[in-house]
Amino acid sequence: MPRFDYVRAGSVAEAVHLLAEPGVRSRLLAGGTDLLVYIRHEPPNFDRVVDIGRVPELKRIERRGDEVIIGAAVTFTEAAESALLQEVAPCLVEACLTVGGPAIRNTGTLGGNVANAAACADSLPPLTCLDAVAHLRSLVGERALPLDELIRGANRTAIRPDELLTHFTFLAPPADARQAFIKLGRRNAQAISRLSVAAIGRRDGQGRVDYVRLSPGAAMPVPRRLHEVEAMLLGQAPSDELLAAAGRRSAEAMIAVTGRRWSTEYKEVAIRALVEQALRRVLV
Amino acid sequence: MLIEFTLNHRPVAVEAPPDITLLTLLRDYLNLTGAKEGCSVGECGACAVIMDGRLVNSCLLLAPQVAGSEIITIEGIRGPDGGPNDLQENFIAYGAVQCGICIPGMIMAGEALLMHNPRPTRDEIRAALAGNLCRCTGYQQIVDAIEATAVQRELLP
Repeated sequence: MPRFDYVRAGSVAEAVHLLAEPGVRSRLLAGGTDLLVYIRHEPPNFDRVVDIGRVPELKRIERRGDEVIIGAAVTFTEAAESALLQEVAPCLVEACLTVGGPAIRNTGTLGGNVANAAACADSLPPLTCLDAVAHLRSLVGERALPLDELIRGANRTAIRPDELLTHFTFLAPPADARQAFIKLGRRNAQAISRLSVAAIGRRDGQGRVDYVRLSPGAAMPVPRRLHEVEAMLLGQAPSDELLAAAGRRSAEAMIAVTGRRWSTEYKEVAIRALVEQALRRVLV
Repeated sequence: MLIEFTLNHRPVAVEAPPDITLLTLLRDYLNLTGAKEGCSVGECGACAVIMDGRLVNSCLLLAPQVAGSEIITIEGIRGPDGGPNDLQENFIAYGAVQCGICIPGMIMAGEALLMHNPRPTRDEIRAALAGNLCRCTGYQQIVDAIEATAVQRELLP
């Protein structure tokens, strides 16, 4: 007896109908790189896998005016190879290129990465930095949630069982702002993030910061921009002292949320260095 | 359920349960034992195959996910005479093979790279092998073999 059934959805409408079918516990599968690991260790808590990996509507990457749209079933490789994303979201492209190895990037998807909501998910810092909004669809209708409302904690989201994460949208940052993503792992290849930072920044004609966004990864259970650090940088010239202070303030923000844990001794020093480095790349 | 796809350039239709991996489908239902089960969680690359022109870990795909796709396994990599192809010959010539368990995955990773990037740098070769673990040779000879193959293929008419 198979442990579960498999059905492939041909469209978003079909996927949403399958999810809403009463009496059947459906589980979405986009690439499978998380789900297949899960079912090796745990007995499946679902009756049927609904494969959305080939739904054309979920594979688009496009720009409409200032808005950029990324389908939930876009793989890390497809995102990294997209000329549009290379132009408007290089911090996201850099993050996608640090996920797993080539085989993982060829199957794993951005939607799966976000919906699985591991604290170390590499797409979260850049998507948060870009103020991305997640769009959900069910038979009842559509709703849109910013990432810090979508993600409720490590491996917990606000997505209902009858809802499908269809796509992300964000406004393209100013073309002259620079972007960076830096990740610390235990080895360079195939590593799970220990800590990461995404940053976007720009200086005005006087050399003062007039645009900056900063978001750490694997640092807090719910990803968010470090608005308090951004505020101390805006309007200032990015001196070594200021960048060091920004690193210290980022570490304080992290510890305020997580408290002092077994990993804090390492992460406190590491996040200071990562924030300084990322800000140097986008502001200096 | 009936799973239909193209396997090593031939159409196949195989009756199999929906909850097995592509790796199990290949090894236990189609008797292709070239792809190896190393870690089963996508860390080692010993099960790597090429799906629609891209390297994938067959341990991390459900068998029915490949319906309609084109899969190439190590059994589908061969020279015109049916023996080893140039990349496989170079693995032998450069001493890239010791125990051999990672080699089917390494060959697939090498072929997948050369499909998209016919003249990779050594860094690009290393990046393409990032998901494939070898505990014997230390990778140097594997990188050499792939690099030599790229150069030789470029010189072919």
